[in-house]
Amino acid sequence: MATKQITIPIVGMTCASCVAHIEGGLNNLSGIEKASVNLGSGKANVEYDPGRVSPHKMFDAIADVGYQVGTAEATLHVLGMTCASCVAQIEGALNELEGVTKAAVSLATNTAKVAYVPTMVTVAQMKHAIRDVGYDVSEQTDSSASALDREREARQQELKRQQRNLLIATPIAALVMLGTFRQMLPPEIQQFIPELLSEKWFLALLTTPLVFGPGRQFFVNSWRGLKHGVTDMNLLYATGIGAAYGIAVINVLFPQAGFGGEGATFFESAALLTWFIVLGRYLEALTRGRTSDAIRKLMSLQPKIARVIRRDGSSQGQEIEIPAEEVEIQDLILVRPGERIAVDGVVSDGYSAVDESMLTGESLPVEKKAGDNVIGGTMNKTGSFKFVATRVGKDTALAQIIQLVEDAQASKAPIQKLADWVAGHFILGVHLLAILVFVFWFFVGYQLYFDPNTRFMLSPYTLGEMGVFGFALLLSVTVLVISCPCAVGLATPSAMMAGTGKAAEYNVLFKNAEAIENTSKLQTIVFDKTGTLTKGEPSVTNVISDQSSEVGRQNEILRLAAIAEKNSEHPLGEAIVRGAAARGLSVSEPQSFNSIPGYGVEAHAEEREILLGNRKLMKQRGVNIGELLPQAEQLEQDGKTVMFVATSSLRSPRAWNLGLIAVADTLKEHSAEAIRQLHKLGIETVMITGDNARTASAIAKQVGIDRVLAEVLPQDKANEVKKLQAQGKRVSMVGDGVNDAPALAQANVGMAIGSGTDVAKETGHVILIKDDLRDVVVAIEIGKATMRKVKQNLFWAFIYNTLGIPIAAGLLYPYFQVVISPEIAAALMAISSLTVTFNTLLLRGFVPSLKRERGTGIPSKRTAQPAHVPAPATSGGAE
Amino acid sequence: MKSLQMDLDRKIAVTSALIYGGISITAALVFFLAATSVGTYTNVARFGGAAWVMLLSFIVTMPLVISFVKKRMKA
Repeated sequence: MATKQITIPIVGMTCASCVAHIEGGLNNLSGIEKASVNLGSGKANVEYDPGRVSPHKMFDAIADVGYQVGTAEATLHVLGMTCASCVAQIEGALNELEGVTKAAVSLATNTAKVAYVPTMVTVAQMKHAIRDVGYDVSEQTDSSASALDREREARQQELKRQQRNLLIATPIAALVMLGTFRQMLPPEIQQFIPELLSEKWFLALLTTPLVFGPGRQFFVNSWRGLKHGVTDMNLLYATGIGAAYGIAVINVLFPQAGFGGEGATFFESAALLTWFIVLGRYLEALTRGRTSDAIRKLMSLQPKIARVIRRDGSSQGQEIEIPAEEVEIQDLILVRPGERIAVDGVVSDGYSAVDESMLTGESLPVEKKAGDNVIGGTMNKTGSFKFVATRVGKDTALAQIIQLVEDAQASKAPIQKLADWVAGHFILGVHLLAILVFVFWFFVGYQLYFDPNTRFMLSPYTLGEMGVFGFALLLSVTVLVISCPCAVGLATPSAMMAGTGKAAEYNVLFKNAEAIENTSKLQTIVFDKTGTLTKGEPSVTNVISDQSSEVGRQNEILRLAAIAEKNSEHPLGEAIVRGAAARGLSVSEPQSFNSIPGYGVEAHAEEREILLGNRKLMKQRGVNIGELLPQAEQLEQDGKTVMFVATSSLRSPRAWNLGLIAVADTLKEHSAEAIRQLHKLGIETVMITGDNARTASAIAKQVGIDRVLAEVLPQDKANEVKKLQAQGKRVSMVGDGVNDAPALAQANVGMAIGSGTDVAKETGHVILIKDDLRDVVVAIEIGKATMRKVKQNLFWAFIYNTLGIPIAAGLLYPYFQVVISPEIAAALMAISSLTVTFNTLLLRGFVPSLKRERGTGIPSKRTAQPAHVPAPATSGGAE
Repeated sequence: MKSLQMDLDRKIAVTSALIYGGISITAALVFFLAATSVGTYTNVARFGGAAWVMLLSFIVTMPLVISFVKKRMKA
C-alpha cells in the first residue's frame, strides 16, 4: 500500500517533551509509518497509510495528548443555494476534503465558514469541491467595504439569474395556459386567441424550451448532487417537472397510452409547474437578501477613504487620501467636520464632538479632545482633529462587531439543526413515499376507487380517459412536488438572521444562534452587584450640618471636606471631591494636609482647621459629636459609610462647627427600571455579591431584586450559577465580561455588559455594548420575538406538507374524487416559501417595549437622582 | 498520490453504480413481473410503471449506496 505524507501545524508545544508526547500519540495509531515533530517550526510531518488511518484520527490523537492542530479560517461566498439540502451537500463536500476540520454553511448568508489546516488543503481546493457539487463560489476577504460590494453583487447576480428565468418562463407559461384553456373561454375572448395555440404540437414546442431553459437548473443541480451521493430540493423539482413533461410528450405521441387520451394535454402541468418553481426561486432571492440589512448597514458605516498625514522628511508631513483599508497603525489621520472616522485611534490634536450613536447607542455627540479614543465608522460633527490610528483593518471595533454579527448569523441554533436534518432526510423519504403511492394506485387503488368523472382541484378538467398508469403516475408526481421542504430549510435561518440583525441595531450582540434560542427561554437572571447593578464607585449620598438643614450650609460642609481631601487618593476622599465638583463648588488647595491612617485627615485652609474622619478621630481631638450620632447610626444601618466633619476658625480654636457626610455606592440610573421590566416578563431576578447579607439586602430592596446571594467569593460565583441550574432553572448571568468570565461561561446565557466596542475580548454569549441594564430586557424580548418567528415559520413550512401530502397521495380520493394537479402542488409550495420569508420580514418592524416607550415620548419611570446603595462592606469576598 | 485518489474515486463510483443499479433494476423487474402476472395491464402501463419504479429506486438508493461505499472504502 502506498503511503502519504502530510504536515500538520501544532499549537501549544513548549519543550522537547511535548515533541515526544505528540510523536508517541501519533505513532500509537495503526497506519502511521513515521511521525516526526519539529518544535522549532511547530509542525508534525507524518507519513501514513491512507487506507488505515485518516488525518481526522491524527487530529484526535494530537488533541488527546493535550495539543491543538493549528487551523486557519476561510469564508467563502456560495452562490446558488436554495434550501437546507444544499447546505448539507456543500458541508459534506467540504468535510470530505482532507485538512478541513470544520465546515459550517449558512443558507441565510450564502457563506461557508471553513476551518482548515493550511498545510493540507487550500482555499482553491475548497472552491473546487463546492463547484463540483454544483455551486458557484468566491472567497470573502477581510475588507468590509469590498465585502459589502461583493455581497451586493452576488445577491444581484442571483436575483438577475432568477429574474431572467422568470422573464422567459412567464410569457411561455401564459401562452401554454391560454392555448390549453382556449376552448373553455367565452367566444368573445376565444376569437382573440389563435387556434394554433391549442394544438398539442404547438404546446409541445412552447413547453420544451421552458422545461429545458429556466427549468434546466433543477436537472443539472440534482444530477451533480446525486453523483456525490446527496439529494436536495432540485431533485424533487426535476423529477416532478420531468415526469409531467414526459407524460405530456407520451400522450402526444401515443394518445392511447392511458394519459387522458386525445382530449388531454399535460403540457400546462409541466409549464405551470416550472413557472411556479421559478417564481418561488425569484421571490426567495428577492426577499432572502433583505434580512441581512443589519450587516449591510454596519458595513456601510465603514468609510472608504482616509486622509492620512504621512511625513516625507519635511516637518509638516503631507496630507494624502488613501483607501481606509490601507491605513496602518501609528498613521496620523486628519478628520474634518461631517466626515466619518476611518479607523480606531487616539486623538492627538484638536477638539470636536463625535456622533457614536450608530455603534454605542449613545444618543448625544461625545466630546473628543487630545488623549480621547475615537472609533472607526463614527461621524465627526463639529470640529477638525487629528488622531493616531491604533486599530486598523479587521481589528477595528466596527470590523469586530460586523464579524460577530456575521458569525452569529452563520451559526446554527439547536432547533435549526433539527430542521436541517429533517429537511435533508425528507427528500429520500418523499421519493420512497412516491414509489409506495404509485404501487398502491397502480395495483389496488385505481381498480377500487377510480371514477372517470374525477376532476383536478381548481380545474375544469376531468380525468376521463386516464388509464391506471397515468393516474398512479400523476398522484406519485404530485406527492413529489407538494412535499418539497424548501420552506423548512428557510424557516429558522431567516428568522435567526433577522433576529441577530435586529439585536445589533439595539447594540445587543448575540454571539451565535444558540444564544438567541437560550435567551428566549430564560427563567432566572443573576446580576453581579458592583459595576452591574451599581456604578461600582462610592459617591456622596447625604450631607448633614449640625447648624442648619439649608443647602448652602450643607454645601459649605461638603466644600470644606473636599478641600481636606483634595490631595487624597482614598476612594472615599475621591468620592467627596467628585461630590463637591458635581454640585459646582469651588475647591481650593489646602494650606496643609495630613493623613492620619485609620482615623481620617486633618487640613488647614482659609484660616480654618478641618477634621474629616471617623468617631475615633473626633474622640482623639476632643470633638463632641453626640448631637449627630443618631443620624449617623441611622445612615450606617442603611449600609452607608459615615464621615464626620469638624471645622473651626484658627482665631477661635475648638469652637467646632460639625457635620457629617455619608458615602455609598449608587445604583445605576436604569437598574430598577430594568428589574421591573424583567418581573413583567415573569423572570426571577437574583443578585450575587461579596457584600455581607445586611448590605446586600439593602441594595436588593432598593432595586427590587427577588433574591440575594450574599458573601459569595468571586471564584464561587460560577458554582452559585451551577446550583441554580441544578434546580432546573435556565439561568443567565449578567456581569463584567472580564471579572465574571467563569460565571458567564457557566450560565445558559452569559451577558457581558458595558463592553464598549472592544467586543472581541468579551466572554459571554451575549454582549451588551452600552452600560445600560435595560438592554438585558431588549435582548430577552428580541430572543423571544425571534423564536416566536421561528416557530411560526416552522408551522407555515410544515402545515402545507402535512396537509398537502395525504391529499396529494390520494387519501381523500375514495371519498371526494378530487385530485391535486402537480401545478397546484407547486403553487402551494411557492406560497409556503413566500409565507415564511414574508413572515420573517415582519420581524424587521419589531421594536422592544422599552424602546417603544422612549420612542413615543412616554417618559420612563426613572428616579431624578440615582438611588443610593450601601458602600461595599465585604466579608472577604471582594467583587 | 493524485492518481491513487482518482483510482479510489473511480472504484467507489463503479462499485456504487453496480449496487444501486442492481437494486433499481431488480425493483423494476419485480414491478414488471407483478404487473404482468397480476392483472391485465397494457404494455405502456407495465413498461412505463417499471421505468418509473426504476427511476425512483435509483434516486432513493444512489445517494445512500454512494455514501455507504465511500465510508467503507475510505475507512
